[in-house]
Order: sequence, then structure tokens, then C-alpha cells
Amino acid sequence: MIIQKEMIAGLFKDLASVKESGKKVVYTFIPGNLSELIRSFDMLPVYPEINALQSGMRKKSGEFIREAERHGHSEDVCTYVKCDVGMMIKGNIGPTGEKLPDPDLLLLSYTGCFTFMKWFETLERLYPGVPVALIQSPYQEDATITPEMTEYMVKQLKEEVIPKMEEVSGQKFDEEKLKGILKLSAEAEDWIVKIFDSTKHRPSPIDAYFAGVYYIGPINIGFRGTQEAVDYYKELYKEVQERIAKGLGPITPEGVMKEEKFRLVVEGPPNWTSFREFWKLFYDRGAVIVASSYTKVGGVYDYGFRHDSEHPLETLAEYCMNCYTNLNLPQRINLLEKCITEYHADGYLTNSIKSCNSFAAGQLMMMRELEERLEIPVGFIETDLVDPRYFSYSNIKNRLESFFEMLEQRLLIEQD
Amino acid sequence: MNSDQIYTMGIDVGGSYVKGVIMQYSDSPVLVDKKCEKIRRRNPSEVAVDLIDFLLKKNNLSYEKDIVYLASTGEGEMVSKKRGHFYSMTSHSRGGKFFVPEARTVVDMGGLYVRAIKIDERGRVMDYKMTGQCASGSGQFIENISRYLGLAIDEVGDISMQSDTPEVPSGICAVLAETDVINSVSRGISTPDIIKGIHLSIANRVVRLIAKLKAESPIVLVGGMGMNKGMVDAVRELADENRNHFEIVTHPDAIYSGAIGAALWGGYRHFKLIEKEAALNLV
Repeated sequence: MIIQKEMIAGLFKDLASVKESGKKVVYTFIPGNLSELIRSFDMLPVYPEINALQSGMRKKSGEFIREAERHGHSEDVCTYVKCDVGMMIKGNIGPTGEKLPDPDLLLLSYTGCFTFMKWFETLERLYPGVPVALIQSPYQEDATITPEMTEYMVKQLKEEVIPKMEEVSGQKFDEEKLKGILKLSAEAEDWIVKIFDSTKHRPSPIDAYFAGVYYIGPINIGFRGTQEAVDYYKELYKEVQERIAKGLGPITPEGVMKEEKFRLVVEGPPNWTSFREFWKLFYDRGAVIVASSYTKVGGVYDYGFRHDSEHPLETLAEYCMNCYTNLNLPQRINLLEKCITEYHADGYLTNSIKSCNSFAAGQLMMMRELEERLEIPVGFIETDLVDPRYFSYSNIKNRLESFFEMLEQRLLIEQD
Repeated sequence: MNSDQIYTMGIDVGGSYVKGVIMQYSDSPVLVDKKCEKIRRRNPSEVAVDLIDFLLKKNNLSYEKDIVYLASTGEGEMVSKKRGHFYSMTSHSRGGKFFVPEARTVVDMGGLYVRAIKIDERGRVMDYKMTGQCASGSGQFIENISRYLGLAIDEVGDISMQSDTPEVPSGICAVLAETDVINSVSRGISTPDIIKGIHLSIANRVVRLIAKLKAESPIVLVGGMGMNKGMVDAVRELADENRNHFEIVTHPDAIYSGAIGAALWGGYRHFKLIEKEAALNLV
């Protein structure tokens, strides 16, 4: 945790000092991000979702959202967008209290979320004259990435993204440099897969949702492709192995979880504005999350995908198209089924996010399908990403208690 | 009071009311006394303690000498006098079985939400389905509407039965439904038709839950709304319309199901603890 915090603090420090360093800044998104390509041009990424979630955790998002609504954004718009836009309107002071630099390039590398396009239109208006690079990423409608889809993406990288990056950074595209970065990405990805796979143990040494969101931090916010990320994940893996050897459960904000009573798979992002209270509702009842879809939002590695340094542009293209929300609903169901089965989950919980259509659309159908297929107890709660108005503690508590109660009874019946 | 009898108490702290019961615990338990108190912006814990004291005094019982177990449920975990706490689905299921021993589904229709619970022959929770966060599926919603129409909550059942052309409001959102009701009043729609419409709107949610749960008969409607004749009638009507031929029953003490269930589980736990202690003494 300490190393991770230092890495993130370092990135924000670098962003705060771009005037001195002369580094160029790219605003982009986490799903389908092109971290390695950005890094190969020595540019720095800014992820608006990260700013929004950090603002949510620091109880600042409500104010930013209201500011965006005063500027005409509807109550139904994604609250990451409104938090981000509100923050920019109020001076773009980032979560660490330092002013974030203006973008030199707006890079939209994943269009599977329609809101992202509208978000970028807003950014374009907020930063007039800043070049925009946009890739249209095909949806996995037929549950596959065809060679034509990859070819189409590579063409856009070559003709749209790379020329704009060259122009903004003043550097020529260096394929060998990119290959070196990609090698490190694959290495970090191998480690993170092993870490999340550790939840097969009983008790699970980690919580793959509440703690998982911290673990995916470095790989999702620009450190993929760095030695720092590889070292971080190696260290984390070592720590997880030690926990397994000692038979320890996951770490919570109140220490090691004493008893693992329920193992869950969770679908949907967490709520950030009441993150600690939300987490407490689980660990107080001995519920550990053994897998979650949200920790796959930056990349799905479950079926063996790793960045391939031998095919640099093709691998970036495939990575973009392989992010969780670009999978069609049957693919998502199959992936969740795999998680439930392989990690021996006792229950499946959906956290439906009021303002995130990319996640929320289809969640009920997915839940019903998994319930039918696996006869697993399912639960459904509703919260939001960073709008504190949509977190109703007592409602969520009531629903979770009912869910845990059913799990408890089912486990008792199984023991009979 | 008969000193040979074993007494347990159950206290159910809900969103709007605190309910308390004294049970005579045996293989054929008997409901000795009951009391229900609206919270009305008071501290629910204090309301609960006052209610416990009231019931004990009225029945000439001593908490220390006569009550072998006082169990809480719902939000009753903070009640200082409780000996143990039971989760509300467990308590309502047991309460539902007390009313109808052969029950296989219990629908808890309370102030905050509706929850359909599938139970096994021993009253254990097998599965459940619950309404969403919106208040349009809750007893509190009926209270709000009845207050707006100037009716007492215990009148709405009878008034609803007088309706011949119910005016059903939006079933999606409580705020939209309230607007519909205001509009209905200004259009001169009769009070029975408005109330029946509200009941049908909630009943529609209940029937959908029952269907999703793949519920089995008999279905017992418990909780505060289970005592509302108009509500029960609306559930039966819609279930029949949807060709779900369920046997839907209720009980005049439906609001006490949680408290009754907690008191019965309390008695069960008391004797289990005695058995455990006896076994330890033998060792």
C-alpha cells in the first residue's frame, strides 16, 4: 500500500511540475488506455476517472457535481463526467491539492462507452484548440476480435493517433522503445494475474474488490510498462504468499479479517463517496470478495491476454477491444461464471450504478442468467460512483443483510 | 401468570413502528400479549424499552424472573435489554410459520420495503426477492398517501374495498405516484378509487416478486401491510389476473410476525444453550 501510494503521489507531482520538465500531457480514459504508447513519447497521462474517484473518496465530488449541474449537465449524466467537469470549472485542482496541467492532447482510445465521446466533446469545448485523437473501437458483438477489427484499429493508430502524438510531443515514433515498454507490461500483467488468482485459497488472502481497486491502481493509471510496476507487483505477490503461508485472511481498514464466512463475486464498480462504510458492511459480516468485474475494467487477463511486444500496434489494438465493458453480455456472463466456479464463490452480488450505463445495462439479465445456470444466491444493490446523493446507507444495509442472511441459511442447509 | 409456563419476548424495531410480544413457549406456542407503537421521531431504542416494560407490567411478569429469552429483530440490535438478535428474514419466516404452519412463502410487507421469502419445511430461508430502493413499494408510501387524503391508516383497507373503478398511479416512482394522486384528487376521482389504485400499484410489485421467486403456496402476507384488507385483496386480485393460482393468506396479527418469530427463535436458542451447558457438565 505504501509503495502504491508513493507511485501515485509521484505521478501527480510530475503532473504538477510539467512547466519545469516540459513534458506533454495527455488526457485519456482507463478502459482501453494506451499507456505504453503515451509513455513511449515521454508524455504523462491524466485519467479523469481517477481524479473523480479520488475526489469522491475525499468527499469533494458532491460539490463538483453540483457545479457541473449548474452549468447545464443533467442529473442523469455519468457522475465521473460531472465531477471531472466541475473540478475543471473550479480551477482543476487535483485530488492531491495541486493544480493539474491543461491537456496537450485529448486521446479517446475507447468509444465503447458513448458517454466518453460526449465527455470528450465537453473537454474539447473546455480546452479549445487542443488536438483530439479519437479511435473508433469496434464492440465485440460476436464475442470475438476478428483480424479485420484489429487491422481497422491498427490503421487508426497509424493514421490518427501516432501522427498526433508525434506532433504534440515533438518526438518520432520509436517502435523499439515501445516494444521494451510492452515487455514490462506483460511482466506486470503476469504478476497481477497471480495475485488475483490467490483468492482460490481459503481463507482468501486478499479482497479482490475493496482492496483489489488499490491493487489495480498502478497497472491502470499509467505505470503499465514500467519497472516500478513490475517491482510493485512482485512485492505484492510476495506479501500475498506470506499471508497464504500464515493462513491469514484479507486486510481491512480495521485489521485482518478474522473469519471468512462468505465468498462473493461482485459485478459493478464500487461506490467511492462512502467507500469505507460500504466495505465495512461486508467485512463486519465476514464477506470477502474473491473476484470482481470492476478490477477487470482496465484489462481482462483471465483468458491469457498479455501485451505482446513482438506485435506492438496489434497488441495495443487488441487490448483496447478486450476491456471488460467492450465484451458483449454473454461473454461477461461466461467470465463471471468462470470466476464464481474457479474461486468457489457462495454468492453473486450486483452493485448497479445509477449513472454508469456501460456497467448497469444488462446487469439484471446477467444476474438472472447466473442464478439460473449456477443456482447461486444472488443479491442486488443500487449505489453510484461519486454522487453522494445516491448512496442510501440504510437501504444498502437492509439489502445486504437480507442477502447475507440467505447465504448463511443456505450454508447451514448445505452442512446438514 | 402461571409460574410453570416458559415465557419469551420478541421485539421488532421497524422503520415506522416498534412491535413487541410475549409468547408462552412450548411445542405449541401461544401469543400471550402484543403491543405496537409508532416511533414518531422518538429514539427507537427508548420506545422499545418502554414497550417491553409496559407488556411485562400489564402481564404481571418480571423480566429477570419470568422471561427466559428476550430476542430482538429488525433494527432492534441496539435494544439494551435483548439477550440475542435475529435477522429479520429469519424472524419473519418463523412468524409466518406460526400463523400458517404449512406456509412455503412468506411475504414481509413492511414500512420500508416488500420482501418475498421462500422457506423450507423447517422455516429456513431458501431464497428471497426484494423491491428496489424506491419507496413506491413500501407501507410508508400508503401512509403518506393516506395522510394526504386525510385518512387514518387503519381506515384505508375498508375504503379500498368500496372502489369500483380504481385509478392506478405510476408504479415506477413514489414521487411520480404522489403527483398522480394529487392530480386524481383535482380531477374528482373518489377516495376509494385512489386508495385501491395505490394498493394495486404496490400489489403489482408484490406479484412480480412472487413470480420471480417461483413461490410456492401457501403464501402468508405478514408485516404491517398484511393487516390491510384492501392490500391483501389487491394482491389476490392481481395474482389471479396473472393466472398465478396461489393460496394467499394473512393473519390479524400479521404486523407482529417479526416479533413473534424472534421470540420463538429466542426460546429455541435458550433450550439449545441449556443442552450445551448440560453436555459440558457431563464432560
